[in-house]
Amino acid sequence: MAISDKDFELLRDFIYNLCGMYFHTTKKYFLESRLTKRMEATGTKAAVDYYGLLKSPRGGEELRFLLDEVTTNETYFFRSVPQLNALETKFLPEIVEAKSKMGFRKLRIWSAASSSGEEAYTLAMILLEKRATILKDWIIEIIGTDINETVVAQAKEGIYNTYSVRNVPELYKKKYLKEEGGKFILSPEVKKFVTFNKMNLYDDTKMVFMKSFDFIFCANVLIYFDLASKSKVVQHFYNNLQPYGYFFVGQSESLHGVNDKFKTVHFPGGFAYKK
Amino acid sequence: MMDKQAMMETARQMVANIDDLPTIPIVATQVLQLLDDPDVDVDKVADLMLTDQVMTVRVMKMVNSPIYRPTQEITSLKRALVYLGIRNIKEIALTSSFISAFEDKGGVIDISTFWAHAFGVGMVSKIIAEKIQYRDVEKAYLAGIIHDIGEVVLSYYQSERFSRVLAIINEKPVRLIDMELEEFQTTHAEIGYCMAEKWNFPEAYKEVILYHHTPREATDDPVLCSIVNLADLFCSVRDLYYGGNAWASFNLSEEEGWAILKEKHPNLAHLDVERFCYELDDAVPVVKDLVTSIFSKD
Repeated sequence: MAISDKDFELLRDFIYNLCGMYFHTTKKYFLESRLTKRMEATGTKAAVDYYGLLKSPRGGEELRFLLDEVTTNETYFFRSVPQLNALETKFLPEIVEAKSKMGFRKLRIWSAASSSGEEAYTLAMILLEKRATILKDWIIEIIGTDINETVVAQAKEGIYNTYSVRNVPELYKKKYLKEEGGKFILSPEVKKFVTFNKMNLYDDTKMVFMKSFDFIFCANVLIYFDLASKSKVVQHFYNNLQPYGYFFVGQSESLHGVNDKFKTVHFPGGFAYKK
Repeated sequence: MMDKQAMMETARQMVANIDDLPTIPIVATQVLQLLDDPDVDVDKVADLMLTDQVMTVRVMKMVNSPIYRPTQEITSLKRALVYLGIRNIKEIALTSSFISAFEDKGGVIDISTFWAHAFGVGMVSKIIAEKIQYRDVEKAYLAGIIHDIGEVVLSYYQSERFSRVLAIINEKPVRLIDMELEEFQTTHAEIGYCMAEKWNFPEAYKEVILYHHTPREATDDPVLCSIVNLADLFCSVRDLYYGGNAWASFNLSEEEGWAILKEKHPNLAHLDVERFCYELDDAVPVVKDLVTSIFSKD
């Protein structure tokens, strides 16, 4: 179902103001198709009625369903290419240089909503490629955490379907993935750099122990939190990040109004947060 | 840092040695003179512009682009002039002349790539100017469009050495302006300034051309230089640049242009930078379409 530009902007502003997720104009078609699903499910006829439903007392619950639809609730290897490029070409060399000067040779990365592990393992692959050069003799620690025990178990297992690995560059695929009976098995070489734990981002007692990260990734999770929880969790990320570290959220997410201490660092195709 | 005076001298020599330096079309000069008259008659301007077919067509294309957001298509030049107002006409007439001046010369930077950056910086400058309620939004737009005319000179008249510079910035994490300094002992900022001198540009524009990478050095209108400086940065991390920007990155809070604007307009500290960026992403195809339409032959 097509929605008018006016209704599109109305919904975009509403979702942005409430969740901090922006719909690019180029994604209008995508939003339309997801909205159609939710409108069918809720029996609303026009976009404007659906907008009314979102604003009603029942709106909170419906918004979660909509967010599930639009984030597609799925993950895959090499998902946010601009972020990975910026990390590889710019931020990693910069941090390695800064730490080397101080005599540190250890890199810590946190995938803070790791799901079945694709993001954490993607980072492991990229860093592994640097073992011969800038990361020679460095200790690499990648930690994945998720609230859902099932996905944490899947991540530990490291077996993926074709869909998950469709974006993996050929070079990495050959080196680090083995195809067996239609499944892709991750090499132990990659697995050994990553540990996965069950963890709730709301759990202050655990959050305070997640210390000294150089990179933190947290995509498509904060959009589900209300402002107070979001502020609290983001403050933890802030505290847990090294002074020269970078914090990445999802590619259309925004922390505006959530934390005014983070600075934005802009790179081709996106931005990251820095202390 | 290399001696500033020596850099300027090198640039002046380079521009002086160009024997076929493009001139601004006569009609444009006349239109600009006419528009300086506060009681200008729109009919007179329209008549004069109609003598230049190319300019007329471009004005019609630009006025109907989403950047000016007309509610319905504008089909007559006179209506376009009334709709845009005298100030905007000035900016469009000048823009059109710049395009003509450098058309069909075959430089190293592809013409539509150059203009996509120019219009991109113009448009982002305009958006920033609106956000801080800068007194002359059109001036910001035009300043954005012309800020890199020095690159055009390098692209056309130093093509061999300039392609070397471009090749290097595609392979190594170095800035274009730094590589220019190494290769030419001067940069597009000084070269553009010397061109603008030759063309008798108003002081404010000359200053933007010279200081768009170092807005703290501006004395006449540092705010205007900062607007263009930031617009340039935001375009450099989007698909509105000359290439070789894989390493481009900037920390907004460390940029002098940002600091200058915040000193003058403290409300800017509350800008939703994230949304601003996402809206700029949305504007990239609009700029590209405009450039395509300007250079299409129909």
